[in-house]
Amino acid sequence: MEVQLEHPAEEIKRLRRCVNDLVSVVALPATWGGGEPAEIVRALTEALLGMLSLDLVYVRLGVAVSEAPVEMVRLAQPGSPTAVPREVGELFDRWMGDDPQKWPPFERHNVGGEDMTLVPLRLGLRGEIGIIVAGSRREDFPRQTESLVLSVAANQAAMGLQQALLLSERNLKLLTDIDDRKRAETQRDRTIEELRTQQSMLSESEQRFRAIFDEAGTGITLVDLQQPETPIQNNRALRTMLGLSQEELGFFETYDELTAAADREADAATFRELCEGRRDGLRQEKHFILRDGSSVWANVIFTLLRDAAGRPRFVIAIHEDITERKRAVERLQTKQELIDLAQKSARAMAFDWYIQQDINVWSPEQESLYGLQPGSFDGTFQGWKRLIHPPDWPLLLKAVKHAHETGEVSVEFRAAWPDGSLHWLATNGQMFFDGQGKPFRMVGFTSDVTPRRLAEEERRRSEAFLAEAQHLSSTGSFSWRVETNKITWSKQAYHIFELDPAVPMTPELIRTRVHPEDIPLFDEVFERARAAVSNFEFEHRLLMPDSSIKYLHVIAHKTRDQDGEPEYIGAIQDVTERRRSEEALGNLRSELAHVSRVATLGALTASIAHEVNQPLSGIITNASTCLRMLAADPPNVDGARETARRTIRDGHRASDVITRLRALFGKKGATSEPVDLNEATREVIALSLSELRRKRVIPRLELADDLPPVTGDRVQLQQVILNLLLNALDAMSGVEDCPTPLVIRTARDEDERVRLSVQDAGVGFDPQAAERLFEAFYTTKNDGMGIGLSVSRSIIESHHGRLWATLNDDTGATFSFSIPHASEAATDASGVGEVLTPASTDAERVKGDS
Amino acid sequence: MVMRQLISVVDDDESVRESLPDLLRELGFAAEAFSSAEEFLASDCLGQTRCLVLDVTMQGMSGPDLLQELTRLRREIPIVFITAHRDEGVRPRLLERGAVECLFKPFSDTALLEALNAALRVSRPVTEK
Repeated sequence: MEVQLEHPAEEIKRLRRCVNDLVSVVALPATWGGGEPAEIVRALTEALLGMLSLDLVYVRLGVAVSEAPVEMVRLAQPGSPTAVPREVGELFDRWMGDDPQKWPPFERHNVGGEDMTLVPLRLGLRGEIGIIVAGSRREDFPRQTESLVLSVAANQAAMGLQQALLLSERNLKLLTDIDDRKRAETQRDRTIEELRTQQSMLSESEQRFRAIFDEAGTGITLVDLQQPETPIQNNRALRTMLGLSQEELGFFETYDELTAAADREADAATFRELCEGRRDGLRQEKHFILRDGSSVWANVIFTLLRDAAGRPRFVIAIHEDITERKRAVERLQTKQELIDLAQKSARAMAFDWYIQQDINVWSPEQESLYGLQPGSFDGTFQGWKRLIHPPDWPLLLKAVKHAHETGEVSVEFRAAWPDGSLHWLATNGQMFFDGQGKPFRMVGFTSDVTPRRLAEEERRRSEAFLAEAQHLSSTGSFSWRVETNKITWSKQAYHIFELDPAVPMTPELIRTRVHPEDIPLFDEVFERARAAVSNFEFEHRLLMPDSSIKYLHVIAHKTRDQDGEPEYIGAIQDVTERRRSEEALGNLRSELAHVSRVATLGALTASIAHEVNQPLSGIITNASTCLRMLAADPPNVDGARETARRTIRDGHRASDVITRLRALFGKKGATSEPVDLNEATREVIALSLSELRRKRVIPRLELADDLPPVTGDRVQLQQVILNLLLNALDAMSGVEDCPTPLVIRTARDEDERVRLSVQDAGVGFDPQAAERLFEAFYTTKNDGMGIGLSVSRSIIESHHGRLWATLNDDTGATFSFSIPHASEAATDASGVGEVLTPASTDAERVKGDS
Repeated sequence: MVMRQLISVVDDDESVRESLPDLLRELGFAAEAFSSAEEFLASDCLGQTRCLVLDVTMQGMSGPDLLQELTRLRREIPIVFITAHRDEGVRPRLLERGAVECLFKPFSDTALLEALNAALRVSRPVTEK
């Protein structure tokens, strides 16, 4: 690339020198204006020697110019001034016999012991004025440009010499006017004739100059300092460059106007210095702003030419248009800067891989991405492979294969640094193919994307965690922007609703899944949340297309989105399983309660038998009596009627006992109904009466008159009362003649609760074991299973109550339970705000919650 | 007019006190009912009672307690125990202590008559045999 860049520069340099030379040559006549031929020849030879670095210039003027042939030789280095002209002269004598048209363009000769290339130039059309020979020891002499300069110089010399000749002709004419008219006439004719010829020659020369001047690719300005009125000469190239005509460009003011304002003053000052002869030349990079507003940059060489007296005569300015180059450089600079910037900002480092040669050129920065010291990468494919984290190598091979197909490279992989750490790198680049379509080069950038990858991985992981957590806990999350009704629904939430995640979630869509019985509740919550914007929590059911039912627990927090609009962030938990297990647990608990009840009642068997046998006995006795009364003669009808009546009464009595027993033995499932604890207590006492009698304990009932009903399962509560009662009897069985009887007490408790206590005068319990009393299978009795109190406590807790035991001051213990008497709204103290629960699930909550 | 033999019934269950005397009367006995042992002891029927139908489990003095008290008072009245507690261990213990019979409620009229007859036989002189 560098060679390509430099080549035109060299070319331009050479051409510019040529034009400079040309312009200097063109300007030569100014220096010899009005001078003698010898003066002209001297100026010419000196100029040529300097310009073309010649070793020798030989000039011979013909008889047309002077009486005797004038010979002159100029040498670059001092040598034998006589020998050389002779040799050259002899050479010319030989040449002169030939037609000048047939002269060789150059010939190599030994001149003064040295090989030189000699270039003959004729002065005048046929060389009648003279000849010039330029010689140089250089083998490449004359170059094309040098030939051009030489021929222009010869023309200039011819013009100058002709002018000199004309002047001498004029002098001659004045003399001949007086002496010899005829001769004068003849001379005049001849002069006219010659003048014509010469004029045509002059005109030809002038045309050549014009042609050179005008056709030069370089813009040239010629300012005649001694003739300020003369328009400044500008060639076509300059006019094109500056977009103006000769007339417009003829004034210095125009030139000044086009100069960029910033430079105008300084440039004008410099130009003045030049014009005033204070300097001989200068080189400037000029910025022109054209009338159309466009910019033109030119490399300008100003040269001051002086006349023979050393006065400033001409200023020649040669303009080389460098606008394109400057733009290109600017573009290049911008491009390079952009690349640098991109590299810096992306921390992307370049590589250049010559595939066929297996040379990978890395910048030190590229090496640093692989954790390498600058210069330590060996540049080979295998060397590269060693730097890659092995599991990622197939990725790279795949990317390279893809690049073979498409030319594009884009891959992310891990580099294993020498210290063992792994770094994520991203490479993007382009693969280039040779004529046969084989890849030969890949160029691209690599950047360290470790932080991004780590962040991505972290995000992926936490998303996966979240998804997994949502999956495991059957919890979906959602956000709901109230204003726009925009709902964002997590994957798990879709899963719970059994809806396609591709479908945008809307309140209407959610509603289609809500259990019809819960729609009013759902709508109420939804509308309240929309209007009041406060946290909400509620439970509802879904009715799925397959008619299955799901229980959902929904919690939402009020917040504000980034625009400050109200937004709910919430969670939806599928509590179906929990509900099912609660149900199962409830069933199990009921079963246990039943077993426990049966066991408890087993202890009452004798007592129960007594209760049943008593009325049965009455029935049989009365029936027997009745039959005998009817069988008497006469039958005792009145007596029979009375005994039959008693039979029926006892039958009812037996039936009542059986009903109570069946209630306790037979029922398993829990129900919820208002229960009057006083009445329940009385029934328990009735059922246990014979047992109490057998144990010789008469319980004292202190039942509050104004006791409000509790909501719960009557049989389960009675089971608890029975349990406490039997426990009290057991505790008192070893104690003779209790002074304080068994007391069963009901009362209103604080916090809208109702309390029932069973106070005994028994042996009490070990305070250390107070809590263990309620553990399953903990028993102090030989015949007990140890489940009575444990089951009792679970029953009470399922009624949102508690069961506890205390030791009495004097003797015995008191077992109490306390349960809410009103059906409390099922709340938990999460503080999340309002909780609404479907009425239809109240019973289940009571049953199921533990 | 044959003088009927007096059978006394002691039971804390009202339905027994209501029904059993009627049946005894239909069987040809005279009958009196008492709600407790103490009431019976305090009554003037003690001497006339030829057989005692006695409940085992009662508040206050129980059936066996009364048996013991009568033995102490040397009032040898034949006793037929009745009970609603079907405890097989109870019967041998009571028979051992001198009871004529122990009937588990509910019992038939024939079972009662047999027990009464047995009791009345016991109270008769051996010569009647």
